[in-house]
Amino acid sequence: MVSFLLRRLLVAVPTLFLVVTVAFFMMRAAPGSPFLGERKLAPEIEKAVMAKYGLDKPLPVQYATYLGGVLKGDLGPSLKYRDKSVADIIGDGFPKSLILGFTAIVIATLVGVGLGIAAALRQNRPADYGATAVAILGVCIPTFVTAPLLVLLFASKLGWAPTAGWGGPRNLILPVVVLALPQIAIISRLTRAGMIEVLRSNYVRTARAKGLSERRIVLDHALRGAILPLVSYLGPAAAGLITGSLVVEQIFNLPGLGKYFVISALQRDYTVVMGVVILYAALILALNLLSDVLYAVLDPRVRLS
Amino acid sequence: MSAFGPELAPGSRTGAATMRSAAVKGRSLWDDARRRLFRNRAALVSVIVLGLLVVAAIVGPYLTPYPYDQVNKNDVWVGPLSGDHLIGTDSLGRDLLARLLIGLRVSLAVGVVATFVSLVIGVAWGAVAGYVGGRLDELMMRIVDILYSLPFIFFVILLMVTFGRNFILMFVAIGAVEWLTMARIVRGQTLSLKQKEFVEAARAAGVKPAGIVARHIVPNLLGPVVVYVTLTIPAVILAESFLSFLGLGVQEPLTSLGTLISKGAQDMELAPWLLIFPSIVMVVTLMCFNFIGDGLRDAIDPKDR
Amino acid sequence: MKTSRLPLIAMLAACAPLLAACGGGGEQKALRPPCPAGRLCLEYGNSGEPTTLDPQKANASWEFGIVSDFMVGLTDNDAAAKTIPGMATHWEQSPDGLVWTFHLRDGQWSDGTPVTAADFVFGLQRLFDPKTASGQAAQFYAIKNSRAVNGGKLPLSALGVTAPDAHTVRIELEHPWPILADNAAAPPMSPSPRHVVAKWGDAWSQPAHFVGNGPYLPKSWTLGDKVVVEKNPRYFDAAKVCLDRISFYPTTDAVSAERRVKRGELDLNTVVQSNRVNFLRRPDQMPGYVRVYPYVGAVFLTFNLKSVPALRDVRVRQALSMAIDRDFIVNKLFRGGQKPAYSFLPPGMLDYDGRARTYWATWPLERRQAEARRLLAAAGYGPKHPLKLEIRHRNTADPTLYTPAVQADWRSIGVKAQLLSTEVQIAYQSYEAGDFEVADAGWGGGSDAMGFLFLQRSDTGSQNYGGYKNLRYDALLDAADHERDLKRRMAYLGQAEQIVLDDAPIAPVYTIASKNLVNPNVTGWVDNNFDTHKLRFLCFRDAAQRRAGRG
Repeated sequence: MVSFLLRRLLVAVPTLFLVVTVAFFMMRAAPGSPFLGERKLAPEIEKAVMAKYGLDKPLPVQYATYLGGVLKGDLGPSLKYRDKSVADIIGDGFPKSLILGFTAIVIATLVGVGLGIAAALRQNRPADYGATAVAILGVCIPTFVTAPLLVLLFASKLGWAPTAGWGGPRNLILPVVVLALPQIAIISRLTRAGMIEVLRSNYVRTARAKGLSERRIVLDHALRGAILPLVSYLGPAAAGLITGSLVVEQIFNLPGLGKYFVISALQRDYTVVMGVVILYAALILALNLLSDVLYAVLDPRVRLS
Repeated sequence: MSAFGPELAPGSRTGAATMRSAAVKGRSLWDDARRRLFRNRAALVSVIVLGLLVVAAIVGPYLTPYPYDQVNKNDVWVGPLSGDHLIGTDSLGRDLLARLLIGLRVSLAVGVVATFVSLVIGVAWGAVAGYVGGRLDELMMRIVDILYSLPFIFFVILLMVTFGRNFILMFVAIGAVEWLTMARIVRGQTLSLKQKEFVEAARAAGVKPAGIVARHIVPNLLGPVVVYVTLTIPAVILAESFLSFLGLGVQEPLTSLGTLISKGAQDMELAPWLLIFPSIVMVVTLMCFNFIGDGLRDAIDPKDR
Repeated sequence: MKTSRLPLIAMLAACAPLLAACGGGGEQKALRPPCPAGRLCLEYGNSGEPTTLDPQKANASWEFGIVSDFMVGLTDNDAAAKTIPGMATHWEQSPDGLVWTFHLRDGQWSDGTPVTAADFVFGLQRLFDPKTASGQAAQFYAIKNSRAVNGGKLPLSALGVTAPDAHTVRIELEHPWPILADNAAAPPMSPSPRHVVAKWGDAWSQPAHFVGNGPYLPKSWTLGDKVVVEKNPRYFDAAKVCLDRISFYPTTDAVSAERRVKRGELDLNTVVQSNRVNFLRRPDQMPGYVRVYPYVGAVFLTFNLKSVPALRDVRVRQALSMAIDRDFIVNKLFRGGQKPAYSFLPPGMLDYDGRARTYWATWPLERRQAEARRLLAAAGYGPKHPLKLEIRHRNTADPTLYTPAVQADWRSIGVKAQLLSTEVQIAYQSYEAGDFEVADAGWGGGSDAMGFLFLQRSDTGSQNYGGYKNLRYDALLDAADHERDLKRRMAYLGQAEQIVLDDAPIAPVYTIASKNLVNPNVTGWVDNNFDTHKLRFLCFRDAAQRRAGRG
């Protein structure tokens, strides 16, 4: 186990390095520049700014400088947010995205697994079709539709939750629901599929033959096997959720990290883009590792070697 | 079920997770599979509905009384069933029915084009990696891992700003990002197919590796690949809708379901029909794909007998 | 069947967290962040996230909205954005209009240090210091040697701003610039606290270090959440400042912000989506909140004269311009308070009468379309040989909305136009590189007509997107620059604008409107052409009650 973890961590380093490299050169290959706008900077000023951020040097030199900085833990200044460094931006936004995303993924897992089991036990009956339809609906409606609809209903009309803003736990209700809905859909479908497969397996048949109650079979035996496919899904899904979501942050006016994936790429804020990409890649690697470990814990057939 | 998070959150891995079990035993199964598929009522209805939608998308735009891009200055924001616009008009007085049909056509085209690209790359990549194995396999799969660790939205935005002029090219680009999961599924299948007798026989008969992959491996991958395709098309359609939200969608006056919905969501209290009708068409389309995908999976899965 | 109840249990278990999350939703808790007892706090929806709090670096309207009350410049604005004395109590110009002398009152920085003339000199040096890279510097190039200093060709000390003594600021100009006093109220011309900038460098504008002389000072700034500013007790007129704390929220989603204002979570929001203005004015919505007012911003189409031969013909340009149905775009499509534009400059520019018009401005649309067809035919275009063009536009909301209408208008006079939506970052780059046929562009914010007219000068460079060149036009602008008399300057500028409208290198489309949602309980918000709203005038109608009880 320990050697497995060590080896995976060792592999993670070159992977992360390659991610940084690919992202760096892709970002720079895109047309545009961070210093463009309606009001053009005087050419001399633009030159001075480019020099200030080292953007006037050849690309390989910039790459080496950037990599050197990252190794020292310096993600550089933001090119757009002139008063903030990339570390400030991530430091401000990430904890909030983490709270929001984590709550959403936990709720989505609980609800999704519940619905999935319910559907599996009633396979190909109206309840199953109903659950499937609801689940698909959850994935098929874009968040930029569900979010304002929920706000109109639960905030503006019923007044159950604040419309938007960051503050108390009540402010989290609507954004968490919006984030969780599509995940509930996916998770319930995965659980249903896994459950159906397991319910047909030999060991469940054996358990039935032994005369165990259906409830014990489901909860003690089947569930464990059924959520295996879920485990490999949850890693990247969690990484996606806890790094924030542009739509939810914009509509609910939340100080998360999600908008920087999009806005900074659109504005060519190179350093911020790189910072969030590194964070995201590190999270993906970590969560994948975690889900592999979980897999091994849940499935006795898998050995980590 | 394919995975698309709030904003194309990563993780089309679900496909891999659920598809792992789907294997094809041989051609004789296909008749059987079709019979099973058509016995699944949800899938059957979906096939019919989707067929009608495809016909509507292809033929419909020629039959509407107004062209999709005709501005009718005197019919601005006309509601459904009033005047001679069946389901109303938008802020430029353009006939919503005509726009809906052309939007459906664009969305379907976009989904099919991107999926086809991901199919070609994914199958080739996965089959080669799985069949050759060893170092090459490791290298190829490492590349897949690295691309997985980059946020999907980052790729898409960069491709979008680079290829913005041509929307077909954009979706070729999206397809070029979407192939990762396909490659993983195909590789897994290939690994197991490689051991099969008919492959061994071909090898013994002196068929070259390229020939074996093309003639024996790829055709036998059809089952899981078809299932995955029916799940990727809706994922791409949804991805396009998020790009529309960012203003990176198809070029006006052309439109897509996603563009119609994201515009409609802004005016939901003023002109609800602009949100409702496109949403219904989008949800129905995506649901059909999902039900067909599910039905196919159940039908092809040999364990399900 | 034993299984029968399981699904139900599973479903209930699944819903439990959701129910828990929604539990206790009945009672209406305070939707606003807590405000200390006896204080007045305003929640300000501010349309965008600031990138800096440094008055010399600020560049966007939502940044000015925050920082313009951190510093008091030589002059200041009243609630209606009229120029009033600021740190300078009075000022005078030399007879040739080339030297201005401002006389300062006593004032203190928020750390107790006195504000001196040297702080103003330092502030302007920072503005033109190439290292500051201010996006606003070019607006103030009338100040002597500023362009050379800004370009790094002269040292900072060469700038024509000096402090003969601690209470006098002397500004020398390149040419007479009668509107200097009006411009001196703008944040870029603010003083900078030398001792603080020396200590902290670029980090001086962080809330923790910030020192100012204005009515409000930044207290905290969490990205994406809010910037909180509090009253500065050392501001010279602090007794008249009403609000104790103002929190600025970056409300990038205007519709969501509008719902927050309606529920009282926010007191105002500085942006309303165009097409929702009419909706919000309905009696059951928030009619008393909607504040729409003309703004000094214009949207126009630029024709590329450099690379599109067809567009070198003035008849073609005029035909294209007159065929645009501006009334439709403004009154039916946007419905957001914009005005149809028949002139290059928006109304409301300072010291400018704005009488120039396109010659067909008063014609009905049918006559314009007929004339446009005639002009096109005369230029050699018709059904057999249609004019084909591509309109490149920014991918933001309004351009995406109005360009299809232009496309339709042009189709009706036989012109086949394609649209090309371009992401904003790339759009301006393409415009400046001349990579377009017809481009949708906007300009605004400045109060001086010259700030618009310079765009079409032949020596402006890449910001003259279409490469228009008319030496008579350039000469008129030069004459205006050397004119000290405001009336004569206005006449020169007016003639210049008329030339642009006659030559039509651009087709004016509409002028922008400022759109704010302001709770009727907020006082001191006066609509004006510049959408400038000084915070120190804001208050609540029920301020006394709020202070006394509700907190």
